Amino acid sequence: MNITQLPYIKDIFAFMGSDLMAAVIGLLIIAVFVPLNVAFLVLVERKVAGHIQLRPGPMEVGPHGILQTLIDAVKLLGKEMVTPGMTDKVLFFLAPILVVVPAFVGWVPISFSPIMQIREMNVGVLLIFSFSSISILSILMAGWSSNNKYSLIGAVRAVAQNVAYEIPLLLSTMSVIIMTNTFRMSEIVNAQSSVWHILYQPVAAIIFIIATTAECNRAPFDLVEAESELVSGFHTEYTGMRFSLFFLAEYTNMVIAASMATVLFLGGWFGPFFPGLIWFVIKVYFLIFVVMWVRWTYPRLRFDQLMNFAWKVLIPIALVNLLITAIVLKVI
Amino acid sequence: MFSQMLQAGLGDFLYVFIFFLVGLLLPLTMVIINFVLGPRVFGEKRLVTYESGMPPIKTAWMQFGASYYLFALIFLAFDVDVLYLFPVLIAYQKGTGVSELIEFFIFLFLISLAIVYSWRKGVFKWK
Repeated sequence: MNITQLPYIKDIFAFMGSDLMAAVIGLLIIAVFVPLNVAFLVLVERKVAGHIQLRPGPMEVGPHGILQTLIDAVKLLGKEMVTPGMTDKVLFFLAPILVVVPAFVGWVPISFSPIMQIREMNVGVLLIFSFSSISILSILMAGWSSNNKYSLIGAVRAVAQNVAYEIPLLLSTMSVIIMTNTFRMSEIVNAQSSVWHILYQPVAAIIFIIATTAECNRAPFDLVEAESELVSGFHTEYTGMRFSLFFLAEYTNMVIAASMATVLFLGGWFGPFFPGLIWFVIKVYFLIFVVMWVRWTYPRLRFDQLMNFAWKVLIPIALVNLLITAIVLKVI
Repeated sequence: MFSQMLQAGLGDFLYVFIFFLVGLLLPLTMVIINFVLGPRVFGEKRLVTYESGMPPIKTAWMQFGASYYLFALIFLAFDVDVLYLFPVLIAYQKGTGVSELIEFFIFLFLISLAIVYSWRKGVFKWK
């Protein structure tokens, strides 16, 4: 049988040309944006923390310390990479590399503006959820392979916390999806051209924000790296660049989560006066600012409170909210 | 028709694959640069696991609290069921009658029994 008789071989090579180009351009933008954005967010975090605690934050490097985190990154590049003797070497090496993967793949289906989207996918929302599970896996790998008691406790907590808060996250997303009947990000945004979903689904929006805060291991849910009890949790044994890769992933996941919240609830690129992209960026960074604000305002929860809050409060409310949405959609 | 669907599907895979690959290669490059630039100091104590300054007592790979295990079990029972809801969400408004609503209600009721059961069994109490 001649291989050229297969109907789609030719098509595969035909579409590779244009799609490869779009993928490469998107990739270049993301590869430049992600590290710079993390450097910016770490600085903003330190500045916000400083001003909330009535101190100026980093001031030395550059005007108002704006170069501080870039210099920190250079410093971390020149640090020694220690692999302790008792570790599981392969997993210890793989964990900080694997943790960055979801921070890259998560950008693919997000629609920033009507024309800026790397790839429209039928399963856009699901893709981000499925890849975000990889970061939990690599946290577990890091904690387990370190052979350190603090790391292990941090990693086990991370898994318990992430699986618990994934369910309210999915359920609150579902109450939006059941209204729009699509997983395509741009169609979800287009459905909000007149009214944002946060007005129809205020409960789901609040649950979504709480659950993503917990999924990103941010305070007050940062039991994973609780400095006062576990030295710094799963990355206690990591040094140098591998240590900062965990932070790269954490802050990028925060931006992806905020982008999802913007797409699902805050009307994506819609807003008066400015072009779409600017509105999207404003909404995303406002959400991130709120998350930082919460971090420096509330104390950390105890672990049993954390788990019970997910199972006894968030999940029942999210289920009831989903059911009410379904009833309203059928009755009206 | 088939070839169009294939194109769309394969295109999605291509994008995810390229981003996945770069997501692996970029941190790998950073780690290699760090390995080249960083100093290497040798010494006995350098490779000892950190445990608040004293020599570590045994290994960390030992038995662990069973409460976490129970939470993982409920998660399995619950989340796998929740995943079945995703196709329902797409098709929900396409039907006209109330039969979808009744089936949806029965399904949600059944999966919420997982929480009620474990609540009554005392999984959420930490000792």
